[in-house]
Amino acid sequence: MKYLLGTVAAIALLAVSTGFVGYRLSCDDALHAAVAKGDTMEWLRTDFHLTETQLAEVRKLHESYAGTCEEHCRLIQEATRARSALEAAHGDRVALDAANAKVQTLRAICEGSLTVHVRKVAALMSPEDGRRYLALVLPRIASFDHGAAPDLRLGHSN
Amino acid sequence: MNSSLNSPRDSLSETLHAWQVTPPADPNFRQEVWQRIGKQPGATWPAYVRAHMAAWSMAVALAMGVAAFTGSAVARSQTRADRSAIVATYLVDLDPRVQAVLKP
Repeated sequence: MKYLLGTVAAIALLAVSTGFVGYRLSCDDALHAAVAKGDTMEWLRTDFHLTETQLAEVRKLHESYAGTCEEHCRLIQEATRARSALEAAHGDRVALDAANAKVQTLRAICEGSLTVHVRKVAALMSPEDGRRYLALVLPRIASFDHGAAPDLRLGHSN
Repeated sequence: MNSSLNSPRDSLSETLHAWQVTPPADPNFRQEVWQRIGKQPGATWPAYVRAHMAAWSMAVALAMGVAAFTGSAVARSQTRADRSAIVATYLVDLDPRVQAVLKP
């Protein structure tokens, strides 16, 4: 009986060691470190195999883009508030439809702008990495809700 | 004279040469040998493992396979979660409106 238990314990120890090795081999330490620091540029560099030159170009693109969407989004929020006011006041149908259309148009402009930006970023990467990058970010951009903070969980629909 | 003396000896030799023993297979042979020399099979740990080698080999292979798969799956799951979190942070960084909402 003691040999049975001893053998089971030895196998369990071996299994734990094997599991740990399997875990370590499949771990992405660089990604984990970038997440822990919240360093998105480091994430881009490691996850999409960017060279220093590519990373500098991506950083430059991001800096030039910063603020571009801000004005769009401010207009969206204003248009949304105006639409809400019309709805609350039970305003006339034509005005409400126009307010709706304006919100939708502005949302499309803002999302389109961000989509163009990320496509430019993807173009700086290798084709395979670029495809992977777009597959990660585009679905989340599509799920932005400009009336509130976006829910960035993949697969969530507003 | 010589031939009469050699004949029985040759006959014995031929008989011995022709003699073949084909005992029936005894499944308890090994166990009985151990018993006769005063030890039970599996009296030591290595002997116990040897006595159950097939079963323990399968158990080791199965345990290692399941453990390796599980360890790898946990790591992949963690990587997916990490990536999802960093993508969210990244997109929040890209959109100043979101920053304004999240950092009033």
